[in-house]
Amino acid sequence: MKATRSGNLAANVVAFTRLLRHRGLPVGPREASDALRALSAVDLLDRREVYVALRTVLVDSRQHFDRFDEAFREFWGAEEEETRPESQPPDGMTPEETAEAEQVLRKWLEAESQNPEGDETQETPGYSPAEILTRKDFSALSSEELHAITTLVTQIARRVATRMSRRMRAVRRAHLLDMRRTVRHSLRRGGEIMELLRRRRRIQKTQVVLLCDVSGSMDLYSRFLVQFVFALQHAVSKVETFVFSTSLTRVTDALSDAELSRALDRVARTVPNWSGGTKIGHSLRQFLELYGRQLLGDRTVVIVISDGWDTGDVEALEAAMRELNRRSARVIWLNPLLGGVGYAPLCQGMRAALPHVDVFAPAHNLDSLRRLERHLALPR
Amino acid sequence: MHPEIARIQTMLGGEGYVADREIATAIYLSMSLRKSLLIEGAAGVGKTEVAKVMARALGADLIRLQCYEGLDATTALYEWNYQKQLLHIRLTEASDRTVEQREHEIFGEDFLLKRPLLEAITREAAPVLLVDEVDRSDSEFEAFLLEVLSDFQVTIPEIGTIRARTTPYVVLTSNRTRELGDALRRRCLYLWIEYPTFEKELQIVLGKAPGINADLAGQVAGFMQLVRQAKLEKTPGIAETIDWGAALMALHRDHLDRETIEETLGVLFKSQEDARVVRNQWLDLWLRGLERLRAESRPWSQALVERVAAEGALRR
Repeated sequence: MKATRSGNLAANVVAFTRLLRHRGLPVGPREASDALRALSAVDLLDRREVYVALRTVLVDSRQHFDRFDEAFREFWGAEEEETRPESQPPDGMTPEETAEAEQVLRKWLEAESQNPEGDETQETPGYSPAEILTRKDFSALSSEELHAITTLVTQIARRVATRMSRRMRAVRRAHLLDMRRTVRHSLRRGGEIMELLRRRRRIQKTQVVLLCDVSGSMDLYSRFLVQFVFALQHAVSKVETFVFSTSLTRVTDALSDAELSRALDRVARTVPNWSGGTKIGHSLRQFLELYGRQLLGDRTVVIVISDGWDTGDVEALEAAMRELNRRSARVIWLNPLLGGVGYAPLCQGMRAALPHVDVFAPAHNLDSLRRLERHLALPR
Repeated sequence: MHPEIARIQTMLGGEGYVADREIATAIYLSMSLRKSLLIEGAAGVGKTEVAKVMARALGADLIRLQCYEGLDATTALYEWNYQKQLLHIRLTEASDRTVEQREHEIFGEDFLLKRPLLEAITREAAPVLLVDEVDRSDSEFEAFLLEVLSDFQVTIPEIGTIRARTTPYVVLTSNRTRELGDALRRRCLYLWIEYPTFEKELQIVLGKAPGINADLAGQVAGFMQLVRQAKLEKTPGIAETIDWGAALMALHRDHLDRETIEETLGVLFKSQEDARVVRNQWLDLWLRGLERLRAESRPWSQALVERVAAEGALRR
């Protein structure tokens, strides 16, 4: 920090903020001027203090700490002293773990696309290879496309969420006492309250319950749906997410992380049977027993995403679906195969479930996710 | 270190808040640049305390706005005192003032009930305004908040625009249940508070559970480090550690063993699911980790605790 005195300092700070901006941090002239003010208020000879002050002013989210650290070392020079004070890395993850997490995620983004007609499709009976080609769907995407689409899914979800919240405001109907207007009215009657005036109240948010099949054939689609609804929940609803294959796991907490990629990876690590066989009926029954009382009701939309290939008991599936339907406002079943040309829901599991489904829709590509919107908003 | 930062750190220490340098620097910068401070971190790492301590350090009042889902602008700003208005209407019934005049009277400042935001900008001396758990409010409220924090003025239809007499010191906290908007973020200085290190937590236990023997305090702090390596629904924070220390003292325990821990499990783990997982899956491992720690000479360190955790495969 020796070369950063007086007149030099301003130029250096501006150059540093420019570097940060170049690295993708949202830093503008206002931050640069704040940084200068901050530096004039701290001990410039104390490298650690300069570091902390600049980070406090220039970084606005923890997820940018690493990029900031790197740029800081690069610009102001490395020093033997470690810049991160906590001997504990953020979130209790070791560097190895972080690396491992990244690898898992990258594998997801790349592996699936390397064999677009590979394992996945072979494991899924019921539709011909020709159909795969006509379905321009998630499983047919290249690794670049997957990257792009991940961002897109979030963007679309945001837009949908904005529209939905606007609509919800328009349909508020529950009424609250409006004391301000009531008092004003009573003035004309000498303070006698003859009429209670009411105002509209914001309606209760819809509870969305997401039940995702993550057995081999469904893995990829479920990941996209989880991502989509996850992005929605920030704006519009209360969402509880569960994944199942042979049994059910609640993953809402694993997902309640602002950084989705990390969250998804955590799901992969929490769920013991990600990409195993499928027992839909058993899993749904588990949901009903453990969470039904708490989550189901007349403001609840249940979304099941599965191809309906059940290796378990079909009767159990039917019974569970009937109950699910009875105890919620709406049951949506998303089946990615439905996007395929000429697909008919003929498999036993799907046939058993269908009578108890309010909306049966595809979820194989972005467009179908976008159209989910109208099924999510409940009338009031 | 800048003398003022050192002073704040000492002052925080005096208030029983063990602050590392990040925290002291952020508070200092927020005070001297007069910019709002956004504090993020897991639940229970002491975010709210920062505002409280800041108020004491400044000798200012603390005004708290607790956010929740559905919180709207009027609730946060002001309400009319309806009872008083009705009473006034009755009392002036016989007067010869017109309805308009009387209406004007009852919608005057005398009948205004200030809620936290209005309160904060109308004080003579600048208070500390704590906007707690801002992530729990919805994004419309966040936009409104941003407006107030930019202009420090609010408009009440019946009265007009009220400008801040003094600019309050603003501290916002978030548990990151919802990502805050960029506009709000960029308006604030940023502080991330991590779970405490072993050394820091030991200091906290010693400070907050007076009379606790140093040996037990060390075991408690070490144990908490092991606990936080596990993936639980709700990882216990500093408040839980302090409560636990107090509980152990009330039970006159001088060391940790299985029986003691099982008895007091409810202090640390607040959900049935966590308590179950801990009993079935983690407790044995943690106790073994604790044994290993005990075999080491004191004082223990963060590095040592982490090594023990790694050896015992305590991480998930």
